[in-house]
Amino acid sequence: MLILYQNQGIDVEFDELALGEATQSLFAKADGVPIHCSVLSDAFSCIDGYLQDNSDLILWLGNSQIHAINQKQESDETATAILHRKFKQSLQYFMAFSQPNASLQEHYILFEYLLERLPVHILVLPIVFDDMRETGIRPELADIFQDSQIASRLSKTNIGRTLLAANGDKDSAGNDMAALNDTVQEQVEKFLNDNLAESSSLWERRPISRGKLFTDLYKFRNWALGINPSSVRRVIPGNYSQNIEAFNAILDTAKTHNVIVLTYIVPLRNDVQPPYNMDEYNTFKAEIASITQSQGVRHVDLENLVPAEYWGVKSSTTADGNNELDFMHFQSSGHQLLAEALYKELISLINEESQK
Amino acid sequence: MIFNSLTYIIFLTIIVLLYWILPYRSRLFLILFVSLAFYGFWRIEFVPVMLLSTIVDYFVSLQIPKAKQKNKKKLLYASLFINFGLLFYFKYLIFFSENAIGLANLLGADLRPLTLNIILPLGISFYTFQTVSYTIDVYREHIKPEKDFILYACYVTFFPQLVAGPILRAAEVTDQLAHRPPFTLDNIALGLRRIIQGLFLKVVLADNIAPLVDAGFAMPVATMSALDVWTLAFLFGFQIYFDFSAYSHIAIGSAKLMGINFPENFDFPYLATSPRDFWRRWHISLSSWIRDYLYLPLAGVKVREHSVHGLSGAVQDNQKTKALFMTWAIMGLWHGANWTFLLWGIYHALVVYIYRLVKPSSHKLNTYISNVGGVIITLPVIMLAWVPFRAESLTATVGMWSKVVNPLAYTSLNMRENVYLVTAIILVGLFAAKWIQSLFKPSNTLTFFGETVAYAVMIPLIIVFLRPIAQFIYFQF
Repeated sequence: MLILYQNQGIDVEFDELALGEATQSLFAKADGVPIHCSVLSDAFSCIDGYLQDNSDLILWLGNSQIHAINQKQESDETATAILHRKFKQSLQYFMAFSQPNASLQEHYILFEYLLERLPVHILVLPIVFDDMRETGIRPELADIFQDSQIASRLSKTNIGRTLLAANGDKDSAGNDMAALNDTVQEQVEKFLNDNLAESSSLWERRPISRGKLFTDLYKFRNWALGINPSSVRRVIPGNYSQNIEAFNAILDTAKTHNVIVLTYIVPLRNDVQPPYNMDEYNTFKAEIASITQSQGVRHVDLENLVPAEYWGVKSSTTADGNNELDFMHFQSSGHQLLAEALYKELISLINEESQK
Repeated sequence: MIFNSLTYIIFLTIIVLLYWILPYRSRLFLILFVSLAFYGFWRIEFVPVMLLSTIVDYFVSLQIPKAKQKNKKKLLYASLFINFGLLFYFKYLIFFSENAIGLANLLGADLRPLTLNIILPLGISFYTFQTVSYTIDVYREHIKPEKDFILYACYVTFFPQLVAGPILRAAEVTDQLAHRPPFTLDNIALGLRRIIQGLFLKVVLADNIAPLVDAGFAMPVATMSALDVWTLAFLFGFQIYFDFSAYSHIAIGSAKLMGINFPENFDFPYLATSPRDFWRRWHISLSSWIRDYLYLPLAGVKVREHSVHGLSGAVQDNQKTKALFMTWAIMGLWHGANWTFLLWGIYHALVVYIYRLVKPSSHKLNTYISNVGGVIITLPVIMLAWVPFRAESLTATVGMWSKVVNPLAYTSLNMRENVYLVTAIILVGLFAAKWIQSLFKPSNTLTFFGETVAYAVMIPLIIVFLRPIAQFIYFQF
């Protein structure tokens, strides 16, 4: 019962836990209207915000790099807020969606979902080498598969069919009772669960206990095997190839819907050896450049954009408790630099398009 | 109803209380009623299918002893026809029609695929085997037919074993149902322990291994290395073992709470010293069913009683071999209407066949060496068989197996590090569990202390992880 009691009265945001105490999430708002969202549960606030404005839409999909600030100060803002402000002056609307460790497979289905609801003019897509190791769709996005039109479009691509096969019968609400779909027991179980959760905070907080347990196991593993953010992580070929397929599918979908695309290699901490096998990293960059070139998509390499002093440290990911180098999230000044670089590229892209 | 749910825990608590309160006749009615309710919680429309099978075998079995010899056989065939007819319709019609149409189209016909929407009733493979074995046992005069329909129906539908076994013989349970054993706290404690063990294996281990296995088998085969294939084969082997043995633990424990003993279904199968030994430890109730009602008759052996000693020497080798392959092909298809399951069955037949060939030479070895060597060879051979059991297609299976025999495919690890780590921990854990179990003797302080610690860890983990996120794998069979 210790695990259960240990979490009494503690509110744990697991995404935040993964970032560490030194790094904080900031989902930007403009005049109180959300312009940076994460998952489907909050997507409507961003979508509604745009629909009231209705100017040309620039959509930025990304991972935690675009919503997290290292060593955040009170007045700090993310690149999303800066870019939204800049584009507002030219009557354009800048909006972002990001999730921690988001893979290109997740970007693909989220892009399909947003295209259904928003007239996207430009898509900005960061390509993150770390996230090429990721696969699968998080439960918070799983409801997308319930949309028959999106499912039908996904079924036209190889990677879409793979994702449908793995997730087609899942939705976020039923995730905890997936085995009971459409049975009498589903209602009974839900009734029992809801009542128990109402009368017992221990029962209600079981997801937190599960998450805490996995986090502790993760830290223990890292401590026992000496794994830290500087440890070299190799490419996972299966996941990599599925993410490349998803990348191609995003570019194809964008072309079909006349969406202009800007892709970029994300900034990387360059004062220390990156936690990559450099041969694999260089091959990855070359492959992305080759795909974007063959698809006629604007692609920039922002690897060295953010200087060493704008990066920071993150809380320990092992049981030893020592701070560690953060290779993914930079400080507010880094966001400023990223916003300027993207703004420059986007303006150039918009001018180029307008001259066609 | 799914065992790994709050609903089942509450359902079982109420049933057990009523069971010990009610008098004999009412108790049987209670078991029948709650067993049908248990089944109906999944899909009520399939209760009549199960009842049809139950009623047919009840009446056929009553008639068999009274009938003349030639009519006895006709009655038996009628029962087999109806039971296997239902099983064929629900489980195999789509598979056979798709393949027949595919074959016809290959030969030049232009047939459209049938659009059949048939849902497989839960547990049909299990209760069909149970009702069929009952009628065959009556036909063979191993048992007398049960005249009390309620008692007989309780045997077929008894909820703990209804959906995924153990596959019971009538002789094993009807007496226990008929004569309620006295209430003992030992039975309650033993039953609760088995249920806790089962829930732990299912909700803490099997359900948390599942995402790793799913992600692994979803990878393109071309990107897998031989070591990945081995790892996935082992990991799925562990998942299915935890999942299925969990069901058996909960089934045995639930019955025990009512004072009823079910036969054991698993006995550390991955520590088997030979393929034959594996099948004496894995899904024991199915293996013995297959042996008694399929293999021995196919091999031409007249079964006088439940066989425990295998085939007599009088049976010719070629008869044995033919029976072996036919039995395993059917066993494969029993698990699922797919070519991958057929391949799984044939693989096992081949493994047993090879074992028979090499077994005589193993007698020369020292027993210890033979046992240790047996485990080292048997374990990977058995694990590799899980590849077709889990893979999406024959193509994927062949692709994965071809990696294993390619020495050049052993140079990389292409999955997430956790997959290898978890597999290695479980492998070591299984051997350690057997070793620890051998240290504990009943009723000593060390055993008491060890069990207290184990349950103190398992119970909170079950509370934290209890979610019906996944059915038991064997539900699909």
